[in-house]
Amino acid sequence: MPSKHSLTTYGIAFFTILALNFFLPRMMPGNPLAAIYGDEALVAMTADLKAHLVARFALDQSLWQQFGAYIASLFRGDLGWSYSFNAPVLKVILGALPWTLLVVGTSLILSTILGIVLGIESGWRRGSKTDRAMLAGLMSLNGFPDFFLGLVLLIVFGVLLGIAPLSGALTPYSGLSGLPLLFDIFKHMALPVAALTIAHLAGGYLLTRNTMITVLKAPFMTTARAKGLSQKTIKYHHAGRNSMLPVLTMTGIWLGRVVTGALFVELVFAYPGVGQLTYQALLSRDYPVIQGVFLMVAVAVLVVNFAVDLLYPKLDPRVSHAH
Amino acid sequence: MHISLKKEIKQSHTGQAGIIILLVVIALAVFAPFLSSYNPVQQSTTSLLAPSLTHWLGTNQVGQDIWSQLLYGGRTSLLVGFGVGILSLILSILFGVSSALIGGIYDKIVMRIVDAFIVIPMIVVVILVAAYIRPDLSVLILLLAVLSWQGGARMIRSQALSLKEMGHVNASRTFGASRFYLAWRHIVPDLGIILLVEFIYSVRRAVFIEAGLAFLGIGDPMLVSWGMMMRDAMKFSYLNVWQWWLVPAGVALSLTIVGLTFISHAAESVLDPRLRGEAVA
Amino acid sequence: MLEIRNLRVSYGNDMVLNGLNLDLADGETLAIIGESGTGKTTLGMSIMRLAEARVQGSIHFNGVDLFALSDRQMRGIRWNRIAMLFQNVNNVLNPVHTVLDQVSEPMVEHKLLNKDEALVKAGELLARFGLSQARFSAYPHQLSGGEQQRVLLAMALANDPELLILDEPLSSLDVTTREELGNLLGEIDGHRAKLVITHDLDTASRLSEKIAVLYGGRIIESGLTQEVLRRPRHPYTRALIRAYPNMTTVKDLQGIKGRMVRPVSGCPFHPRCTQAIEECSRNMPPLTQSQGRWVACHRGGIVTLLSVINLSKSFDSLKAVDSVSLRIESGETLALVGQSGSGKTTLAKTIMGLHSTYDGTISLESEKVANRSKDFYKRVQMIFQNPGESLSHRLSILELVVEPLEVQRIGTAEQRREKAIQTIGEVELPRTEAFLNTYPHHLSGGELQRVAIARALILDPDLLIADEPTAFLDASVGAKILKLLLNLQEHRGLSMLYITHDIAAARKVSDRIAVMLEGRIIEEGPSNEIVTVPKQDYTKRLLGSASALHDLSK
Repeated sequence: MPSKHSLTTYGIAFFTILALNFFLPRMMPGNPLAAIYGDEALVAMTADLKAHLVARFALDQSLWQQFGAYIASLFRGDLGWSYSFNAPVLKVILGALPWTLLVVGTSLILSTILGIVLGIESGWRRGSKTDRAMLAGLMSLNGFPDFFLGLVLLIVFGVLLGIAPLSGALTPYSGLSGLPLLFDIFKHMALPVAALTIAHLAGGYLLTRNTMITVLKAPFMTTARAKGLSQKTIKYHHAGRNSMLPVLTMTGIWLGRVVTGALFVELVFAYPGVGQLTYQALLSRDYPVIQGVFLMVAVAVLVVNFAVDLLYPKLDPRVSHAH
Repeated sequence: MHISLKKEIKQSHTGQAGIIILLVVIALAVFAPFLSSYNPVQQSTTSLLAPSLTHWLGTNQVGQDIWSQLLYGGRTSLLVGFGVGILSLILSILFGVSSALIGGIYDKIVMRIVDAFIVIPMIVVVILVAAYIRPDLSVLILLLAVLSWQGGARMIRSQALSLKEMGHVNASRTFGASRFYLAWRHIVPDLGIILLVEFIYSVRRAVFIEAGLAFLGIGDPMLVSWGMMMRDAMKFSYLNVWQWWLVPAGVALSLTIVGLTFISHAAESVLDPRLRGEAVA
Repeated sequence: MLEIRNLRVSYGNDMVLNGLNLDLADGETLAIIGESGTGKTTLGMSIMRLAEARVQGSIHFNGVDLFALSDRQMRGIRWNRIAMLFQNVNNVLNPVHTVLDQVSEPMVEHKLLNKDEALVKAGELLARFGLSQARFSAYPHQLSGGEQQRVLLAMALANDPELLILDEPLSSLDVTTREELGNLLGEIDGHRAKLVITHDLDTASRLSEKIAVLYGGRIIESGLTQEVLRRPRHPYTRALIRAYPNMTTVKDLQGIKGRMVRPVSGCPFHPRCTQAIEECSRNMPPLTQSQGRWVACHRGGIVTLLSVINLSKSFDSLKAVDSVSLRIESGETLALVGQSGSGKTTLAKTIMGLHSTYDGTISLESEKVANRSKDFYKRVQMIFQNPGESLSHRLSILELVVEPLEVQRIGTAEQRREKAIQTIGEVELPRTEAFLNTYPHHLSGGELQRVAIARALILDPDLLIADEPTAFLDASVGAKILKLLLNLQEHRGLSMLYITHDIAAARKVSDRIAVMLEGRIIEEGPSNEIVTVPKQDYTKRLLGSASALHDLSK
């Protein structure tokens, strides 16, 4: 078995997600079309469109046939039709995806790296004033939900100090390109990324710090010091290299948290990513969009988890022959 | 491993701080009716007032007293938090211990399901379901509990497995004890601090999710919630009402979560003797 | 090259090393012997300045004061000039780096070679110490214990240090690996100065020319390894060798009374030492040299208790004892082996003063003994072959045991009784009223002999002369008596002159054996040497006809 969780586990998870996606609307009372699309949408649809959709999703046939049609449509890349955007769900999501990837990706990388580094430094100085301050500080920060953090940052830097934009990913109608464009993008994503990074820093920090404390007591650390290696080498090449492993395993699981965090943060900063999209879909009860997002996010998390599982043995040689 | 809870609490400053914070929050929530003179959902015409002697934190956009909302909002968070915590813990113990004791196919199946759920991002699922169902308090607690027992079950199962092999448990088996007896009398009590740690995790996560859902607007609209307060306050961030509206709600929420974090950190240090000797703030 | 002066290392209130002095010359291999808790690992770590403790004193390495160096300078010395070979426990190598990387790392870090060159050199080192090329890119957990030890050795020598400290290098290895590694260290690396830190005398004798014994945070004896092991001069060293199961010595194992406690004023060993005097509890004895050996003992090492020079005794024309010279050291057993008529009993009786005229001198702790005063008998006692005869059947057990105290007028009646009861307990006899009041004819041979021993011990003598003590006893009973005597030696530091015709028994209870024939001592030496490499024909005959369990099928 190449990965920590077997393929079966991922299979079951994937299937559960699909099933949830499928059965949830259909278990609601009333007209299945209404359940899938919501009452509001139904009102806006023409009879033709309704008939077309019924046929497409085999809503007048048995549950099993509907499931078959559902799976088939997924393979076609057809995630449904968004009534509020009047476009295929897939297209709508893909339009918003890059911005979310930018923010989520940057935050994930930043918070992981920063968390690991701070954890190493804190664990190295365990019990000292610096360590205790960092521990108390980061644990406290960890308590702030990302949306609150985002709001505070927005108010402080956006409203009060006025140095950050209040919404959007770009300054509208600016027609910038090249370096100024990059700077503009950066200006707009700074606060959202900051909020997400700070909110999720503590997880990696705590885990790394705990592992570091244990690792520092290991015999090979005495060997390293006896070899007369520099502090930096001992701290990072020997202790750090061992301490960062648990954090990497958790990356897959933490991705889910960061993505939901992005949902909140995008809403706070009116950032046009998938999160904002979801929020609007929630407001307007555009169920296909919500489902589409759910599916993508859940699958993405599964895939990342799987990838991390495959990658782990390369980083921790003790595991390569286990399982 | 014999752990004296009293002694541990005395030694850990973090733990003490966390417990104090939590007690304060609980006290404020429990005594809410005595500490505020308004019905939090009572609307009035005096909206968006600044703090005054009659309204300590002013009023919101429909004239509701913010201070009352703050206190009653605590009730919601704590109810959901502890409700989920207890329910989730029961489920974790049930499945974790039974898996360990029964073993075989039952164990394999349960663990596959548990693993599958651990890998699925819980919050996303909750949002999806909440979007459809618009849960009220009890449904929300149920839903969150059903989705959060898995992590604890895994932890409890592995502890139970090692406890199962211990001398005194084996001795009971030679007296003819049934598995249920073993679980009830020996294994669950010996799980000790792990149960506390899992419980606190669940509570913390539930408090966070409830606030998040309310913030998104898909919580129970009848409930007073800190998340909802923040959501409403957000709409008026260009005014300076945020100082006494947004901030208290956010700080209250954060403090509650931080208090829980401190307690769980202290509990974890107790669990892992290698981490002991934590002279933390 | 290494000079340690007055090293004191303490962890909090616990002073682990207490004024340690040590010298190591170029190319020498010195073994430091210490049991657990003596601070030997701390010593190694202190030299490398890795001990997380309070350190005082000085360590000079080729003239450089190591404690005066800055952190960076010390880092420059670590591994380049002084390296350490750690005991191969789990996780002493970093689990996430390959062994080749770890061996090459110190070369690169100390800027001796660049990365590529270092990898090549690391490969050469590993090959030289017997690791196959296929294993170079393996991770530590994938290697066997022996392979890991080779990696550790290659890694330790990577930067060609002048001094190599080895911490229990052979202890956790299996037999073949132990031999191979021992050879590797001797042959391939014989020229390098080494400090071997171990509790294992086998390791020390395999690897080192010089040895230093560590106890209570100080060196208490040091000298050439083979000489110290053959003839230890400090009571602790002797006790250590006696407690160590090995294929060389033949005496039964004995422990050391009490246990190590810290802190202790004066000599660290004195609470457990059987020849301690008042001075020992007050002041720390300095490490002094005499005849190529360094010993830290106020009494100059193990004292010679009894010294007999040219003793002769004749009965008319028969020379029963012909110019016999021997010595018995404090706390040791000398077996006098000879057949009947060899003069051994006469010799014993002469020493005891039962024959008044003789030639030659007898000295007790360097003081000549002219006439046998009461004081002499307080220090030398005897038990005889036939306890039935040597114990009066008119007296009760209590009265028998108490008699020497009465003769010497020591203590009140109550005190004498107390002491008698205590001593009777020491020889493992019951202390009940019934037993104390019973008479010899009710007891078995073994019990009687124990009563005799108790009687002999009640004056707290330093030397016990035992003349064929098990001659009249069954084997199983006699065995217990011999074990009792060994235990008494362990606890009281009793010296013994054990007289017997049975060399098989002698070798189990004695440190040295003297073979007597026709009134003369014809051979004498450590019991294991007499028994394995006898020089005299008579000795060989004695050994040949000694009790053995013969196998006719061979």
